[in-house]
Amino acid sequence: MASQAQPAAPAVRKKTTGRQRNSMHDGFLKHKNFRWMKIATVLSITCLVSYFLIDVQPRHNGGSWYGYTLGTIGALLILWLTCLGLRKRAITPGGWSLKAWTSAHVYLGLSLIVIGTLHTGFQLGWNVHTLAWSLMMIVIISGIVGIYFYATLPDNLSSNRADSDGAVTEKMMIEQLRSLDRQLHDAAQPLDPSQAALVQASLEQDPFDGNFFQRITNSYSGCETRKAIAELRRMRAYQPRMGDDPLDKVDGLLQRKESTLARLRKHLQIKAMLQVWLYVHVPMTFALLAALSAHIFSVFFYW
Amino acid sequence: MFIVRQVALKADGSEIVRQTEVAGGEIFIGRNASNGVHLPDLAVNPVHAKMVRRGGELIVTAESQQPFDVDGRSVESATIDVARGAELRFGGHIIALGTEGDAVTLTVRRVEAVSDSAEDKDETAIYSLKGLLPGKRMSAWGFALLVLIACLAWPIYTWSSYKDLAYKEKISRPAGFHADTMWSSGKLSLAHKTLKNDCQSCHVDAFVSVRDNACMTCHQKDAGPHAPMARQLDARGDPTGFAAFTRFVAASFNKPAGRCVECHTEHEGAGAMEPTQQRFCAECHDGMNTRLTDTKLGNAADFGKAHPQFQAAVLVRPLVGDDAKAPRKRISLDRKPKENNGLKFPHDMHLSKTNGVAQMGRRLSAKYGFGDALECKDCHEPDKNNVGFVAVDMEKSCAMCHSLAFDKIGDTYRTLRHGQPEQVKADLRAFYRSTPPARPINLGSLARQRPGVVNSRRTAADYARAVNFRGGRADQAIRQVFSRGGACYDCHVVVPPSSSGALDFRIAPVAQTSRYMEKGWFTHDAHDKEECTSCHLAEKSSDASDLLLPGIKDCRTCHVGETGASLIKVKKPVESTCAMCHDYHADKGAPWLLREQDKKKKRPEITASMAHPGGAAARLRR
Repeated sequence: MASQAQPAAPAVRKKTTGRQRNSMHDGFLKHKNFRWMKIATVLSITCLVSYFLIDVQPRHNGGSWYGYTLGTIGALLILWLTCLGLRKRAITPGGWSLKAWTSAHVYLGLSLIVIGTLHTGFQLGWNVHTLAWSLMMIVIISGIVGIYFYATLPDNLSSNRADSDGAVTEKMMIEQLRSLDRQLHDAAQPLDPSQAALVQASLEQDPFDGNFFQRITNSYSGCETRKAIAELRRMRAYQPRMGDDPLDKVDGLLQRKESTLARLRKHLQIKAMLQVWLYVHVPMTFALLAALSAHIFSVFFYW
Repeated sequence: MFIVRQVALKADGSEIVRQTEVAGGEIFIGRNASNGVHLPDLAVNPVHAKMVRRGGELIVTAESQQPFDVDGRSVESATIDVARGAELRFGGHIIALGTEGDAVTLTVRRVEAVSDSAEDKDETAIYSLKGLLPGKRMSAWGFALLVLIACLAWPIYTWSSYKDLAYKEKISRPAGFHADTMWSSGKLSLAHKTLKNDCQSCHVDAFVSVRDNACMTCHQKDAGPHAPMARQLDARGDPTGFAAFTRFVAASFNKPAGRCVECHTEHEGAGAMEPTQQRFCAECHDGMNTRLTDTKLGNAADFGKAHPQFQAAVLVRPLVGDDAKAPRKRISLDRKPKENNGLKFPHDMHLSKTNGVAQMGRRLSAKYGFGDALECKDCHEPDKNNVGFVAVDMEKSCAMCHSLAFDKIGDTYRTLRHGQPEQVKADLRAFYRSTPPARPINLGSLARQRPGVVNSRRTAADYARAVNFRGGRADQAIRQVFSRGGACYDCHVVVPPSSSGALDFRIAPVAQTSRYMEKGWFTHDAHDKEECTSCHLAEKSSDASDLLLPGIKDCRTCHVGETGASLIKVKKPVESTCAMCHDYHADKGAPWLLREQDKKKKRPEITASMAHPGGAAARLRR
């Protein structure tokens, strides 16, 4: 999300590489010294103060002139916020920064809590109007969750991938597993059928297997690798140590595979958390647009 | 002889074939390297199967109970025609059987990857949640469609399939769920609760705002007190500034001004409708005479700042006949109107602490509970709800002093009948007819009288004359009782006889007005912390025609209007909106606002019939 068009560096400035420039990067939350946070705060406070200053009789509701004003602002905001989905797919040249859009999206989206809720006049019920409000709140809350994940998880993601040899890429994680699997396959050749079956089960299990809940909680009770380690150790527990036991090597490889899997699964968990909120945020946005249309339509229909 | 060809794939996809030859008629297949066919495959047993050639046939037998596949079928032993060949499968390996000259060829190929991870993976997909959760695009359209069908299409269908409600008071939709009710923006008020399933009773046409004829379907009768709409709009005048803008916007969205629903908003939550807001009153009544030049009403915007002096409906002539035709006129209290009530009653004399009235009260205090002097409550008794006062009853409140006794028989007093002047006359005549004059004690017996006893004779003559004229005394007594100094005349306005000798005295009808201000509400109950005399200057009134009502100035010592004490500084400010005293649909009872307050405080509601049973003027019949 680095801004696309950097101004031409002054001649005296030391030439910097992209990486170093990236280290100066501040996120969409802090963009332009919290410009959009300030704008959204002013907007929210204006709405809050006017809500208390403007005396709508008999009580605040969406159908007063003030309610219609808030509703119009809110509906237009929702439409604009939805446009981030289009904007982020459009790679545009020039000074239009996607970071600015994202920053505005986040903060104006948050101010929608105030605008939308004041629009209701706190009159909620089992109807299409409150449905639209609830969907809006679900979208916003899922967005807040997303921001929280974006703010906290990337650190975990990096530290999880860090190795003594540097960061491990996703491609490298698979390659490590493939390599370990090949070695395991070779090392297990001398094993008797029951032991070989255990190793084979580990080899045949898809490391990316597991349903959504296993992935998001990082708990895989049916892990064949772990089972193979345990079973092989149990089998060996009372066998005399002969030296040069192929099982020693298999055990070592299985342990390495297990720790590699642990890192992979942690990685998957974090990535799942970074993605899962969007699976709520996006569909609920569309449901919200539908409910918003029904809400506005119904108001004019039973005018 | 067997020829074993191990086919391996190079990284670029080309094949490498390693060929070994095994002499003899049998060959072992297994994971151990010692086997003729060595399959480095963990799914294969160390020695998995033995293959023996017998002439044109190959017999393959599993060495342990572990099966293998022949042409896709799992078996533990098989006999294969060498000429026809076959495909065997052990674990992830396939062995194709064929012949080459005399030899049997076994072409070994690994068809399964060593491990799952070794298989091709779409790296962008496997690291994402793809496949684990329903796709974003699908669920987005799914949810959107669901909402549109449930909340838009279904209600429209419901609306279009039942349209028979408009302008019909007694018709409602059948029970059950009607989808368009999910469009309701809030609960209906108590009064309209029964309409909650009948959206179209009010929302008659789609995209047309609620119009008055929908309201008038049911409210033909009770919407009466409203001024005609044109006059109301005149009274409001043309909006200016922001109001003009909102009016313009409303009009462009097909919401014309001056509809019932502008003031009577609905869907504001269950419970009673809200009391009328001062704003709605002041919109018209603030400076109304400039817009509605022919109005008789004073301008009013706020009780504390802009409200005309009260106008009491006083009796301008003595009451004749029944109440309904009482000659009342509303006169501003500023003009100090007089009430022509037919009574003579000096409040000051009766409330004095020092005069004979007070002294008489002290004498009777044991029996009647009077204090050191008479007080208001000794005569004025609050009505059932403490709103006003019941009419003063002569027998109960006056007669202990203003006795109508005229005769004593034994210990019993005979009294004139109050309220029945003809009866009074008759009783007086009967008294003089039937009771002889007091007999002088020196009146002699029937004994012969000696000549010269003059006194005795005189007495007898006087007595005889008294007896003779006894009946004539009645007329005199009647005249006395109705004239100055007589019992009736003391308190009542007496209509003199038609001619000078006649005795047809009449008593002017008495009115005790229980409510002077019909357009506004007042209850004494809410003011019971006050002394009577702090508002009613009875101690200084010497005439019953004095109207002892306090003016607006007195009320404003506490009641400060809607905006509260911020405008007018008083010690104990009571915020008072229009609705505290006035109601649009006013009846004889308390305004809606106070009734709702009472409901919240769980106090019994004061209804019209309870508050002022006698109407405007409870007439004193006696």
